[in-house]
Amino acid sequence: MDIMDKLKILADAAKYDVACTSSGSNRAAKRGALGSAVACGICHSFTADGRCVSLLKILQSNQCIYDCQYCGNRRSNDVPRAEFTPEEVAELTIRFYQRNYIEGLFLSSAIIKSPDYTMEMLNATLRIVRETYHFNGYIHVKTIPGADSLLIRQAGLLADRVSVNIELPSRESLERLAPEKTRQNILAPMRAIRENIAQNKNELSLYRAAQNEPKFAPAGQSTQLIVGATPESDSKIVTLAEGLYGKFKLKRVFYSAYIPAGDSSLPTDAPPLLREHRLYQADWLLRFYGYKSGELFASEDENLSLEMDPKCHWAVNNLHLFPVEIMTADYLQLLRVPGIGQISADKIVAARRVGKVDFDHLKKMRVVLKRAKYFITCGGKTYDKFPLLPEAIAPRLTDSSRIAGYTQLTLAQ
Amino acid sequence: MVLTFDGTFDGFLSVVYAVYYEKLEPASIQIDGREQLSLGDLRRIERDGEKAARVFGAIRKKISPEAALRVYYASMSADENRFLPILRYIQLGFAVGHMVDSHLHEKFVRDVHEFHKNVGREAHLLHGFCRFAETKQGVFYCPVTPKNDVLVLLVEHFIERLMNQAWIIHDKRRKKAAIYDGKSHVIAEVPADAAFTYADGEEETQELWVEFFNALAIKERKNKKLQRQLLPLYFRGNMTEFIK
Repeated sequence: MDIMDKLKILADAAKYDVACTSSGSNRAAKRGALGSAVACGICHSFTADGRCVSLLKILQSNQCIYDCQYCGNRRSNDVPRAEFTPEEVAELTIRFYQRNYIEGLFLSSAIIKSPDYTMEMLNATLRIVRETYHFNGYIHVKTIPGADSLLIRQAGLLADRVSVNIELPSRESLERLAPEKTRQNILAPMRAIRENIAQNKNELSLYRAAQNEPKFAPAGQSTQLIVGATPESDSKIVTLAEGLYGKFKLKRVFYSAYIPAGDSSLPTDAPPLLREHRLYQADWLLRFYGYKSGELFASEDENLSLEMDPKCHWAVNNLHLFPVEIMTADYLQLLRVPGIGQISADKIVAARRVGKVDFDHLKKMRVVLKRAKYFITCGGKTYDKFPLLPEAIAPRLTDSSRIAGYTQLTLAQ
Repeated sequence: MVLTFDGTFDGFLSVVYAVYYEKLEPASIQIDGREQLSLGDLRRIERDGEKAARVFGAIRKKISPEAALRVYYASMSADENRFLPILRYIQLGFAVGHMVDSHLHEKFVRDVHEFHKNVGREAHLLHGFCRFAETKQGVFYCPVTPKNDVLVLLVEHFIERLMNQAWIIHDKRRKKAAIYDGKSHVIAEVPADAAFTYADGEEETQELWVEFFNALAIKERKNKKLQRQLLPLYFRGNMTEFIK
């Protein structure tokens, strides 16, 4: 099989891993080495589904011994199979990088023979990329659940980011759909990675000279879980994510709307893209806006509203906290106003230091008032005389155009 | 009064110097040869590296290093009328110091922020969207057609990133190119079109990339509108995966 055919199969098989970020590592270029890493990450292209292409995202192999029901590469699924040699992956990475097609490599694999065998093969590839080709760019590697902790440590020293997919939101679902994987096998490496990162940070601060020592996964770890294949509620998922950010110090949790993977017993509906979108919005609220998962599910709902984004939904249910006064509200209060994000909040805080800020100024500063106008006052004045009542405001905050977009998407299939 | 200068960043800083020391009140600042028809006096300001350095140092010290960077980026904007708002921004900055960036009620402050944002954004996108192709001579060639004059920002990035290979980044819109030989670079005027032959294996690498790119899209999630929003069409004319 030539490299073109392999690439086709193994890129296609890897594409459901949604992580594409190349952020979190900052590494200057070195003479004699190829490449650098920038903290903000760089998108190199965007596919027809609007997802960013940042890394050469491929599987080492899709010849899997496992039979996870949600996965297209499961043993019982009839799909073409292929396997790269470590040298082939390394060479592709370098050729693509020299042409600025990619920011680096995202390497994952089906389980070939055994978890240890697979992990060793991934490490062999990374070693060629780093040591033979002196590649200094970004690498994200998936660690294989059940692989030896020493192998995972080696992977972390070669890569910028390591991740283990938690796959499904609950232990029961995992047992049912991925009988060969266990929650324990997934959480153990996650814990080991966290400890390695913590220890590495400790050593680095102890010995400044150690700056040149290899860092363990400087961009941290992430995970992914599938939404819609199993019955867990949004509340369960968001709480799980909150735990992963807190307890496991994860940098990112990715959510992937389940796409029917060939002939299996799972739902065959169109992927729940709007639900996935709402989960990402909730995830942002946890990470950047200071919300707690409990606040997002304060009413009896177990799921996020599809009609309204979670921040609006929270605001409508907490109208007693509004309106907030633009001239005096503190930064965190501003962040809780629907339609005001970090950039707008920064601008408001800056501008009010030197003068009065009214609605006209806000517009000129490009603070979007579409939703915010119901929740703020400027110098005591409201935007228009609109009663601050849930039944009056809610209909004006529903995301009708977005919902229409997603419905069309679903109908189009 | 209309002031004109040679279009370089140093040239513009020399204008700022003249305005400051000669107490000029320009109604417009234009690049030589591109001045619009006007009834006012026309006065040409010579570029002076020493004066420029003094002005830039003063902006860094008396306003802030961020403001200096903002002025630098804003000067690369594609907006023909960018220089007067930048001058006003610097003048206000000399009066109020680093607080200048809080004066968002002033249109010229917002304008400068906007120029800076647009230039920074386009340069950032091009850090990802630039496509290099290996030529027979072993030089990696990359054509670009940016709206803003961001070539130097691309050079700063790729001189790090692709340090050990020779490359050329060709701004076809402005008929100039950055030429890097693996050690140092020059920026030179060149024609808009370039003729070269690919190295052996270049076509194959491009095909592999296109194959990879096409394999990535998930058809159940197709969303061309989002793709267009994130990767505007005007970039695609130079990108391997959209022209092959």
